[in-house]
Amino acid sequence: MRAAPRIAPMGERALLVTFAERIDPVANGRARALADAWEARHLGPAIPAYASTLLHFDPLRVDGAGAAALARRLASRGAVRRAAGRLIEIPVRYDGPDLVDVARLSSLTVSELVALHADREYVAYFLGFMPGFAYLGELDARINAARLPEPRLRVPAGAVGVAGRQTAVYPFASPGGWRLIGSTDAILFDARRDPPALLREGDRVRFVRR
Amino acid sequence: MIRVVTPGLHATLQDAGRTRHLRRGVPTAGPADRVAHAFANALVGNDPGEAAIEIAGLPFAFVAERALLVAVTGRDVRLAGRDRIAGWTCAFVRAGDELRIEGHSRYAYLAVRGGFDAPVVLGSRAAYPPASLGAPPLRAGAVVAVRPARVDASRGGLAVAAPRYGDVARIIVGPHDDRVDVASLLSSTFTVDERSDRMGVRLRGPAVAANDGELLSTGVVEGALQIPSGGAPIVLLADHQTTGGYPIAGTVIAVDLPLVAQREPDESLRFEATSERVAVAELQRVRRDVLALRASID
Repeated sequence: MRAAPRIAPMGERALLVTFAERIDPVANGRARALADAWEARHLGPAIPAYASTLLHFDPLRVDGAGAAALARRLASRGAVRRAAGRLIEIPVRYDGPDLVDVARLSSLTVSELVALHADREYVAYFLGFMPGFAYLGELDARINAARLPEPRLRVPAGAVGVAGRQTAVYPFASPGGWRLIGSTDAILFDARRDPPALLREGDRVRFVRR
Repeated sequence: MIRVVTPGLHATLQDAGRTRHLRRGVPTAGPADRVAHAFANALVGNDPGEAAIEIAGLPFAFVAERALLVAVTGRDVRLAGRDRIAGWTCAFVRAGDELRIEGHSRYAYLAVRGGFDAPVVLGSRAAYPPASLGAPPLRAGAVVAVRPARVDASRGGLAVAAPRYGDVARIIVGPHDDRVDVASLLSSTFTVDERSDRMGVRLRGPAVAANDGELLSTGVVEGALQIPSGGAPIVLLADHQTTGGYPIAGTVIAVDLPLVAQREPDESLRFEATSERVAVAELQRVRRDVLALRASID
């Protein structure tokens, strides 16, 4: 039997539904399915993450207790069966400023590190942090990718970073603490495009060496 | 349309915000002080979510290129032209008038009858400059279009009392109250840090103890009171990231978020626990007042 999720208010206009406290594909699947079911009811936007879903609602339309009861019901629906996501290939130049450091910290040669990063299929668990930024997992455990002790003030758009067991592409220039091992010309987010984000939750992603 | 003469430090067009792409990591944006924004619109007979100009760093000066009904709102604002017009008041201005918004308000709002016009991007006219969404910040000389609407001079003078911008914000405790020392949070007085911006109000004061530095990232809301490992709380505002990994001690209720956003650097701020019931009743009262005001001018 599946554990019941924890449901707690985040203010008077949202609920946080937590399925697990770790990165877990099953919990992530439940989180995404709940977000879909919630949005299909037009109660407000939903944000799935690694193992949780944030549900917005208008408390003048549905009260908190009613929203929580509905969330519990939608979350406990039958097995989550989802088609495998689309496969998206992202061309990458392995030329990041931290490439050599990450190889050294992982006791790997640069070409071993590149092979471990590129020859693997990742899952887009969720999007957050900035428009079009997809959290991709999981990195090969041989890659040691602790965050930088001091975040960079400016990571350029298109930078490919690693942190913990995650990897991602920065869609826009921003401050950031992930270690940068490569770069891409792929446009991760374009408001004129429909949909605007290149990646969506559940997609499979492969980095292709250039 | 209007022509900007002096843009203040940072002026942007903001409607109610962009909520359809949160799942793609797109922040809501919208006004930092939603109550002042909604009342500015209602005073000129607009829907509360129309696009208005948000100004950080007064004064802001502009020329009305045609006759307009305008209203300015904020913590302590007024409109200076031929006459001096109080904030939170609908004013009729003539074509060619140069007007100046003055006062002390971290965020001030200028609404015009009909609403300002700009291309709708991803369902909203809210500016979010980090991703170049919406119109860019206004510069001197910029011309901002106004959507067509009937301008009835006799509507000028309609006023509403400004809300009180106090120094205590009510929160709904949780969801991570098991990991954060909420008692010390509620008994401390904090000071607003100058690094505060539209993403969040950063606070200084006694460190709030948090058990775990970071949690697995989850979606977060405007008003969430995050406790990073250093113990200095941050209250999330309109431009906040859609997800976050710090423990959340509580969430400032919707009607009190404006007072948090409007606190100036070095001013104090305290928190008080309240209930969902109170939060919803207060939200209902404000929404009813905004709609009643709007109906009275239509």
